[in-house]
Amino acid sequence: MRRIIAISSAVIMAVAVAGCGGGKLRSQPKTSGTGNNKTFVYSYSLDVVTDWDPATSYSNEIIAMENIYESLTKYDPQTKKVSPRLATSWHAADAGKTWTFTLRTGVKFHSGRTLDAAAAKDAIDRTIKLKGGPAYIWDSVSSIQAPAADTLVFHLKYAAPLDLIASSDYAAYIYDTKAAGTTDLKTWLSKGHDAGSGPYTVGSWNKGQETEVRLTAFKDYWGGWKSNQFQAVEFRVTPQVTTAWQLLQRQQVSFVFRLTPQLFAQAQQNKSLHTSYASSFENLLAFFNTASGPMADLRVRKAVQSAIDVKGLIAALKGSGVAASGVIPEGLIGYHDGLTLQQNLPTARSLLAAAGYGPGHKPLTLSLTYAQGDTDQQLFVTLLTSALSQLGVKLNAKPEQWNAQWDQGKSTDPSKHQDIFVMYWYPDYADPYSWFANLFHSANPPYFNMSYLADKSVDNSIDAMPALTATDHAQAEAAYGGLQTEIIQNQAAVAPLFVQNYQRAYLASINGYVANPAYPDVVFVHDLTTGS
Amino acid sequence: MLRFLLRRIGQAVAVVAGVILLTFVIQRVIPGDPAVAAVGPKASLEQLAQARHDFGLDQSLPIQLWNYAVGLLHGDLGTSLHTHQAVRHDLGAAFPASLELVGAGIVLAALIGVPAGVLAARYRRRSADAAIRVNSMLAVSVPTFWFALVLQELFATKLGWFPVAGEYTSSLDQTSPLHIYTNMTLLDSLITGNWPIFTSLIDHLVLPVIVVAAYPAGVIAQLTRAALIEEITQDHTRMERSLGFSERSVLLRFSMRPALNPVLSVAALVFAYSIVNTFLVESVFNWPGLGSYAVDAIRSSDTPAIAGVTLLVASTYVVLNLLVDLVQSMVDPRVRLS
Repeated sequence: MRRIIAISSAVIMAVAVAGCGGGKLRSQPKTSGTGNNKTFVYSYSLDVVTDWDPATSYSNEIIAMENIYESLTKYDPQTKKVSPRLATSWHAADAGKTWTFTLRTGVKFHSGRTLDAAAAKDAIDRTIKLKGGPAYIWDSVSSIQAPAADTLVFHLKYAAPLDLIASSDYAAYIYDTKAAGTTDLKTWLSKGHDAGSGPYTVGSWNKGQETEVRLTAFKDYWGGWKSNQFQAVEFRVTPQVTTAWQLLQRQQVSFVFRLTPQLFAQAQQNKSLHTSYASSFENLLAFFNTASGPMADLRVRKAVQSAIDVKGLIAALKGSGVAASGVIPEGLIGYHDGLTLQQNLPTARSLLAAAGYGPGHKPLTLSLTYAQGDTDQQLFVTLLTSALSQLGVKLNAKPEQWNAQWDQGKSTDPSKHQDIFVMYWYPDYADPYSWFANLFHSANPPYFNMSYLADKSVDNSIDAMPALTATDHAQAEAAYGGLQTEIIQNQAAVAPLFVQNYQRAYLASINGYVANPAYPDVVFVHDLTTGS
Repeated sequence: MLRFLLRRIGQAVAVVAGVILLTFVIQRVIPGDPAVAAVGPKASLEQLAQARHDFGLDQSLPIQLWNYAVGLLHGDLGTSLHTHQAVRHDLGAAFPASLELVGAGIVLAALIGVPAGVLAARYRRRSADAAIRVNSMLAVSVPTFWFALVLQELFATKLGWFPVAGEYTSSLDQTSPLHIYTNMTLLDSLITGNWPIFTSLIDHLVLPVIVVAAYPAGVIAQLTRAALIEEITQDHTRMERSLGFSERSVLLRFSMRPALNPVLSVAALVFAYSIVNTFLVESVFNWPGLGSYAVDAIRSSDTPAIAGVTLLVASTYVVLNLLVDLVQSMVDPRVRLS
């Protein structure tokens, strides 16, 4: 016993001695210096930051980054156009191949340095050079010039809508490339520093902790501060939606970014909460194998398309999705009403019979891959399995992790390809080009083109879209309409299923929240005001 | 004793080597390209190739295994594809919080389980025994996740007695910043005298610790009861009774020590089991431990992180088993001979 007491005492003393030494602070207290202590607490289900570098960041950290960094332009969901941000005006010349942006004056980086055209050029040049994240958005840029402190000129290799590109959710941030001084900028940023010009700056970053990131107000922000704005933002990691819901009810968090349909219904009844029901730019698509297997036959593809019950799927989703009308979600150029698929089993049956399948003909088995753990995709698969079984078609559906699903889909051996590939797609800036260039342009070997469509006229139409969008909005609108008719109706290469809806809730004391589908899950906290 | 010690350490090393081989094989047989997890779902061909090169995935499997083993010998568990940080660093930040939670849970389980087992053995086949057996059965069989949600809903949301989730009130980071030495908040706040965080943490710890303690408490109670009942039917207890010792003395003075031997062994294994069992509890209560890290790793197909967690948990099992064997061999020489 005495030995145990002696050992315990030694351990306690050792620890106490350690306690008298340095140790590092878990969180460096940092006040905004702008007056109040109002904190906006964002409840997020995943860890927040995986990459602090604004050049290469391409993940969850967008919810923090968009409050720290700014781009030249910003997509406005109300006007459905881009609006000024760091650039106050812009214009295109040379048939969309030269773009001139006039920059806002009096903007300072968090480092204290003035944001001018030379600094903006350095930032974009670095982003292009690092080739991380979606740096490809700048692919059209040939060179950048800064002829005056407030003038930034882009020379392009081919015409492109640079005002839209400059509003991208990733890779379009303007940052101070000299913020780290003589230290390597990437290393410096990876410690949780920032080089932005936005309304908030990083106060603390505690990887793995519940409150992972805390942002504090940047007092010299060009947009200024009012007394009823939030002076700090906390990102609180809450893996379980039920826990997030309880924290919101007890007002321990301000905002829950996604609720289940059941909890959303409860939130709508709660007078101390506001809810937001907004459509996104993210849609679920089922790609049909146009190159090999039974679905290489157009009649089989059209039959499967006719078997899909989009209406039933939307009812089963209980508000977490709206029926897709074509490949392009509402709010983007080229969106058209009336392209929603309608289930028609007699038509499907006769198409299959014409192709030699179904009762009295050859048996047909189709393979399908989809994302493991995604309940909405599972719902679609269940409904399709049921519909196809009525037609005598067996569906072998396989849930897989994305990398396994994608590996199979882009295999160079066509015999390994699935017949139906289900996946979500979303754009990196508010333009539909991304869907067509990535998903329907021919590619050998296949990359994201999971319908394996290889059609020269479709390719040519897609290639013409950036220039058309930059120069002739009305013609671009019509051209996207034509492309959708060709791909969905004539070629039956894809079945657009639904567009995801965001069901969110936040404290009723918060005003000014507008969901912006171009920046998924982002709350622009500087735009908010609070009554209490 | 030395031979026994060396033999057991040799066995432990062999088991850990087996786990290393297994975790490596698992990393490589999981379908799909791990580089995709590193660069995201919309990566370009160039970015994928770069990631494969950075993570050594473009080398042959034997060379990858060799590099993996050499890295492990230097304490390098690889780089997480998701967090882009060293897995060792990530585990070092997450594991102490889990140890804190599980440690507190096991202490509570022992404080409840052992007396309950003794009471059940003492009043065998009576109502107290029946009540303890039913409750311990319930504690063992109730799903952890469900139990966590029920406690949270009842005691945090409805009654408001305890916080809903979290390790401590986050605003304390601004008013009473914590100095970190061990990454165990409880210990760090105690040794630095940070009472606001210490008291807040105790408040936040209550509900998750009750959930974590439920299963081990049930197991310990049942095992203590069984071991004590076996012990009190031995010849030596008949002699002790005939010598006039009270039933209490027979139970606590003479039968308890040998009966606790198997309980200690199982408690160590339950401790290691609880580390994994706690993953869901951490998820419900936002506890910043290994569970949240493992869930994120699985969700993002982060194979080095998954392998790191597997290796850490397996090593914990092995080390605890080894310690129990050593302690038992000191207490009971028959263990060494067997």
